[in-house]
Amino acid sequence: MKSVYIVGVGMTRVGKHTHLSLRDLASEAVLKAIDDAGGEKPQAIVVGNMLSSLVEQENLAALIADHSGLRGISGFKTESACSSGGSALVAGYSLVASGLFDKVLVVGVEKLHERPTPDTTRGLAYAADADYELIYGISFAGLNALVMRYYMDRYGISREEMAWWPVMMHENGYYNPFAQLRKKITLDEVINSPVIADPIRLYDSCPLSDGAAAVMLTSEKFKSINDSPIKISGVGDAVDSPDLSSRFELDRLYASRLSAERAFKMAKKEAKQVDIAEIHDAYSIIAAITLEEIGFAEKGTAPKLWAEGRFRKGDRPVINPSGGLKSRGHPVGATGVYQAAEIAMQLRGDFPGMQVNGDIGLSQNVGGVGSNVITLIYTR
Amino acid sequence: MTTIQRIWRLRSTLLRLRATRCLDCGYVSFPPKAACPKCGSRNVVREELPKEGKVLTYTVLNVPIKGFEDQAPLIVALIKLGDARVLAQLTDVKPEDMEIGMEVVATVRRTAPTLDGVVPYVVKFRPKEAEQRITLTASSTSTNPASSSKTNKASESGQTP
Ligand SMILES: [Zn+2]
Repeated sequence: MKSVYIVGVGMTRVGKHTHLSLRDLASEAVLKAIDDAGGEKPQAIVVGNMLSSLVEQENLAALIADHSGLRGISGFKTESACSSGGSALVAGYSLVASGLFDKVLVVGVEKLHERPTPDTTRGLAYAADADYELIYGISFAGLNALVMRYYMDRYGISREEMAWWPVMMHENGYYNPFAQLRKKITLDEVINSPVIADPIRLYDSCPLSDGAAAVMLTSEKFKSINDSPIKISGVGDAVDSPDLSSRFELDRLYASRLSAERAFKMAKKEAKQVDIAEIHDAYSIIAAITLEEIGFAEKGTAPKLWAEGRFRKGDRPVINPSGGLKSRGHPVGATGVYQAAEIAMQLRGDFPGMQVNGDIGLSQNVGGVGSNVITLIYTR
Repeated sequence: MTTIQRIWRLRSTLLRLRATRCLDCGYVSFPPKAACPKCGSRNVVREELPKEGKVLTYTVLNVPIKGFEDQAPLIVALIKLGDARVLAQLTDVKPEDMEIGMEVVATVRRTAPTLDGVVPYVVKFRPKEAEQRITLTASSTSTNPASSSKTNKASESGQTP
């Protein structure tokens, strides 16, 4: 297998972009990534997206390539709910590693602010099991709430301990010019925010987001396009059941653990060597469990650790200097690609927000309530 | 909103709570699977789950998904039934009375209409305690025909079936 490098990154600000269409967002990220790669054009494009049906548009690879002046190249779309961007990275990685192409552009894009919120919320719940969960009217937040209550009860985690996570994320994201929610919040604001799906409150959840991010992947042959190519040295991907009821354990995310183990094994690295990570905190409970599954915390302790001040700048690893899904936002099918672009910039030393020094980075993108998880490891 | 075809396809699984048990490793899965999630064996058989169990965890949705707005506040729980878990709506209980470990029993109730406008029936769960109260009221009536005041009281509070 050939080595694969990130030689260009591009992203839009995450937010509510009423004036920008899906193709506008995607092509902005694509063209920025091409510019960052010294103007080098890709031979293929892989698009990560979950819900473009909300804007009545499929056939995204053709739409985005053509709109970006790339008519004639190869391309397709990947979908795995909230980890669609991570799946696009796995596909793009494979196209380069296999030798089929030397230059592949991976773009994630999502446009959630087009339809009334109830339509969007219902669409997001398509990540759940339609036959055995959706028919009971439960939302995606509701499914995460089931896991959160179980976990907090089992490990004796307090409401205050859980609430420190969004406070920390908003502190980090305050400095990120691409973040959707650039405002610091207090513990009281989290604890007293409106209930969405008890025990999940507004600030335990990520916002609805529009946005696009892109990375240019190349083989060894083209890595010198950029002065600081970042190597993708580990790739891990795993699936679990979409339904919660048949899970092996309710307080664990099997696919998170498996994907991290696979990525570490391939990169010949361990969790304790990671300097900086972007993880998938769509809900604070998912941050807690994935920190444990990746190996950054013992089972049942993550919220206690972050309440004590761990994982902030100055600690090792630093988690989500971007502000994570809470503050940067969660443009669903783009999130995994945002994470990759952010880690690449961190390792290059040119992330425009909270910059962390380090040599080894990790990103983990979670689809569904942990039903599809992609972990990537990056080295300078 | 779901379709009537989906409800029809799933009728026996949903109403009788039929899981799959693996004959090789013993793992019981609800929803039923074509092969065992634990060991991959295709040697799985359908098995009806018990109709009584305990609440493992629950949530209260002030905003259920589109199509279920009328059912707010909607209580959804994961319930331990024998060797499996089932996700279901709770009924005949107030959100503030919910607790982990609560004993519940299955009952058949109407749910939100399908896209075709049909009102399907599904299994929901209600507190076992409420059923015991009903049984007690009934037995006290039969063994104590004189105490008619008790019966009246029960019907006022809506506990008689
Ligand atoms: Zn088995």
